[in-house]
Amino acid sequence: MTDTAEPIDAATANSGGRSLRFGTKAYLYASLLIVAAIIIIPLITTALGGFKTLGELRGNAFGLPSTWMWSNYGDILMSHRYWLQMGNSLLIAGLTVFLVLALSAMAAFVFAHVRFFGSQFLLNYFLIGLMFPAATAILPLFIRIRDLGLLDTYWGVVLPQVAFGLGMSILLFRNYFRGLPSELFDAAFVDGAGYFRFFWHIALPLSRPIIATVGIISFVGSWNSYILPLIMLNTESRYPWPLGIMVYRGEFSTDWQLILAFITLTITPTIVVFFAAQKHIIAGLTAGAVK
Amino acid sequence: MSQIAPALEAAPTAVLHTRRRRGVRGKWPIIVLFLPPALVLFTLFVILPMGEAAWYSFYNWNGYGLPTEWIGFKNYELIFKQSAFRNALINNGLIIVVSICVQIPLALWLATMVTKSIKGAVVFRLIFFLPYVLADVAAGMIWRFVYDGEFGLVANIYEFFGQNAPFWLADKNVAFSAVLGVIVWKYFGFHMMLFIAGLQAIDKSVLEAADIDGATGWQKFFKVTLPLLGSTVRLSVFFAVVGSLQLFDMIMPLTGGGPSNSTQTLVTFLYSFGVMRMQVGFGSAVGVVLFVICVTLAFSYKRIFMRND
Amino acid sequence: MAGLELRNVAKSYGPVKVIEGINLSIGDGEFVALVGPSGCGKSTILRMIAGLEDITGGQIAIGSEVVNDLTPKERNIAMVFQSYALYPHMNVYRNMAFNLELAGKPKAEIDRRVREAARMLELEPLLDRKPSQLSGGQRQRVAMGRAVVRDPSVFLFDEPLSNLDAKLRVQMRSEIKALHKKVGVTSVYVTHDQVEAMTLADRVVVLDRGVIQQAGSPMELYREPANTFVAGFIGSPAMNLFQATIRGNTAQMADGTTFAFEPDGGASDGTAVTVGVRPEHFQRQKTDTALTGTVSFVEPTGGLTFVTLDVAGVPVVVTTNGEDMIRTGDSLTVYVPSKNVYVFDSGGRRVSRN
Ligand SMILES: Nc1ncnc2c1ncn2[C@@H]1O[C@H](COP(=O)(O)OP(=O)(O)O)[C@@H](O)[C@H]1O
Ligand SMILES: [Mg+2]
Repeated sequence: MTDTAEPIDAATANSGGRSLRFGTKAYLYASLLIVAAIIIIPLITTALGGFKTLGELRGNAFGLPSTWMWSNYGDILMSHRYWLQMGNSLLIAGLTVFLVLALSAMAAFVFAHVRFFGSQFLLNYFLIGLMFPAATAILPLFIRIRDLGLLDTYWGVVLPQVAFGLGMSILLFRNYFRGLPSELFDAAFVDGAGYFRFFWHIALPLSRPIIATVGIISFVGSWNSYILPLIMLNTESRYPWPLGIMVYRGEFSTDWQLILAFITLTITPTIVVFFAAQKHIIAGLTAGAVK
Repeated sequence: MSQIAPALEAAPTAVLHTRRRRGVRGKWPIIVLFLPPALVLFTLFVILPMGEAAWYSFYNWNGYGLPTEWIGFKNYELIFKQSAFRNALINNGLIIVVSICVQIPLALWLATMVTKSIKGAVVFRLIFFLPYVLADVAAGMIWRFVYDGEFGLVANIYEFFGQNAPFWLADKNVAFSAVLGVIVWKYFGFHMMLFIAGLQAIDKSVLEAADIDGATGWQKFFKVTLPLLGSTVRLSVFFAVVGSLQLFDMIMPLTGGGPSNSTQTLVTFLYSFGVMRMQVGFGSAVGVVLFVICVTLAFSYKRIFMRND
Repeated sequence: MAGLELRNVAKSYGPVKVIEGINLSIGDGEFVALVGPSGCGKSTILRMIAGLEDITGGQIAIGSEVVNDLTPKERNIAMVFQSYALYPHMNVYRNMAFNLELAGKPKAEIDRRVREAARMLELEPLLDRKPSQLSGGQRQRVAMGRAVVRDPSVFLFDEPLSNLDAKLRVQMRSEIKALHKKVGVTSVYVTHDQVEAMTLADRVVVLDRGVIQQAGSPMELYREPANTFVAGFIGSPAMNLFQATIRGNTAQMADGTTFAFEPDGGASDGTAVTVGVRPEHFQRQKTDTALTGTVSFVEPTGGLTFVTLDVAGVPVVVTTNGEDMIRTGDSLTVYVPSKNVYVFDSGGRRVSRN
């Protein structure tokens, strides 16, 4: 390490500092634990509830089940519908992510690096999409999808989802492309690369972080989305899981133990992936907000 | 090439850029190939539907055939006459108020705690962010169970004290407060993450300078930290407003807007009264109102509060 | 105002010892510089004095009071940070006034003191500006201003000039010196730049890996480095160090060159030692020891030229007059008087007299 190129000292950059007093620490942990309990207890009791009988839920919603009803979970896992719904969600989210990434990266590249008349206007045009939710135009959207013959197909969900994701994604991609060092472009052009080659061989390979961010935002949004599939899909075998939960609840209206098991199984993938890739997911979901 | 390189380096960057852009050929092929896919999709599924909403909103139309029955502003009048709509409007307002008065202070408070160097801080952050990652529908369903007056956690707590449990979600005076609780539960983690990012962006030595200047913990927070978080607070409020205007997915499993429309939001209102009844004209009018509210709020907020951010 | 005393002060982060047990007594009004390579623990010591860092062993006293358990606020110190740490949302005036405000001083007194400090540092026209509207040098001045308004018992500086360009650094250096003359407050100044330390301080403390290597006046350190570390650290270009073996009153290098020196005990015949000669102590006139080599590198700087000689494979840096026309490939013989030859034992400690 060179001495002069050290903007801020290790000691000031690291946590370091004075240790907290015991009283302060106790207060911190007490507060944090209480809030954590409020977050976790509903989730744990939901998961445990899935192992109980309905009768037991009435008097013992908090505790461990007296007998573990593995069959509640087992039946769902053996059922076709759970896997089908997970598959549907995965397919819809996968298609959405792929299209959002492809379309927004391409458009954003043009906005970032090709100067042409009207580019600012077109960019602003896309940014209109940031200002209102899909719900505002849901009925005309329904009619459009119907008239295109896409009602009750995956595409009927995917295409609007992609369209409404474009505004934010193009903005994120464009800002990222803009931030790449301009010497890179000079060098590539001097080396004789054209725009296409530059996009494919230089801009994209350098854009992994933003691809991850946009991918995560689109995936989580699609995986969790409810209103679009609710309106565009009619056939239960095409339902993604959030719709599936609602149907399941309708069917087993007061059999809470089954509903709880079903909820638990549907949110398990989310929780597992979240803990496995927490850094990327948190960064991705907040990046859209901060940038 | 090696001969041009020094000349290029010497040229000021601005000149270089214009020259490069003029010099590189094939600018139109990339524009023509790369822009239209996004442009077409966006126009077809975002811009046109919004325009059509404005058009349909002047008709009484059930969505089949072409809209023919022009009724002028009747749909809009109808909207504002509905008490359910007024409920929705008030509820959206309340969500914003609760976000600002409860959720954001809570998020900030927790953010200051989990950015201290204590063991387990990262785990707490994860736990607090977890509800935000869960689907709204799942969260709504979980809380429907929590609030259930017979089998839920609330029922069990009341039972423990030997009382008969109420059905909060079925009581039109209580239901929306219960919903507000879930909203805070679900979204504070997101705001906390914004504040964590904001706090981490503050130069630590500035806070140390305040220590040396003799500031107490509170003085440091109110005179240094909070003013430096100004832009984060404004951003956080902005998201609370935007989020409130979109709220739908979580309401459906919780209450579906009931009982007696006491928990409607603008979007659930649109869904119940426009989509469910296939009142395309009316529903479109609600969409237009929602659009106007969104755009007005977004614009004026950015104008007034986020000018310098 | 007060003196400052460090008694056996130690610091560890978990199992890692960063400061080994420092003893240092700083007189009232003295200006002491802590110097050492990056990461040697200078900032840590300063931050322990300030109360920003826990002390894991030993005692720190300001005046006669042990301050280990006092908060920074209670220690009455002022500190200038490397990053300046100005409050970005306050203007220059409020940045300087903040401490006095917190202390509940009356408005009129605050105003008087802020303006006085502003005048001293030529900040008066800038009082209404925010830090973001200031240049690096101006920010640095504000950071100093914030420290002087409060009339502290001790001034702490943590590399306050390292974010400035070279020219400004020299200018601010003299201003800091002038300021210290004027206010006379006990000061501890941390830097990795030995020139800065030498020019500013009454006493320089050289640190390496959390251990004090030597403390003394600038000239003492230059003339009588206690060990090879100090010898190599103080002075520019750095002292030449060669491996050699003691033969009577001389030290002999592998190639046979023998250096005459003035022993100070501890160097018996046949022991392996390190010989040190400062580049500026080589001369062209014939004297005690001669070195002949081929010029491998010439660095003219104007007044002086630094020449690297290849003496039987060992590089030797020699400072010569800029007017000597020396070219790469020339053969050159230089001489060094025995009083300017330093000899260090195998542990690095100096065993020659000078
Ligand atoms: N919070 C910390 N945790 C662990 N090690 C630290 C911490 N802060 C500083 N250090 C270590 O302590 C040593 C001294 O750091 P510092 O006092 O900043 O050095 P200097 O200011 O001399 O460059 C360094 O090796 C650094 O890595
Ligand atoms: Mg340091």
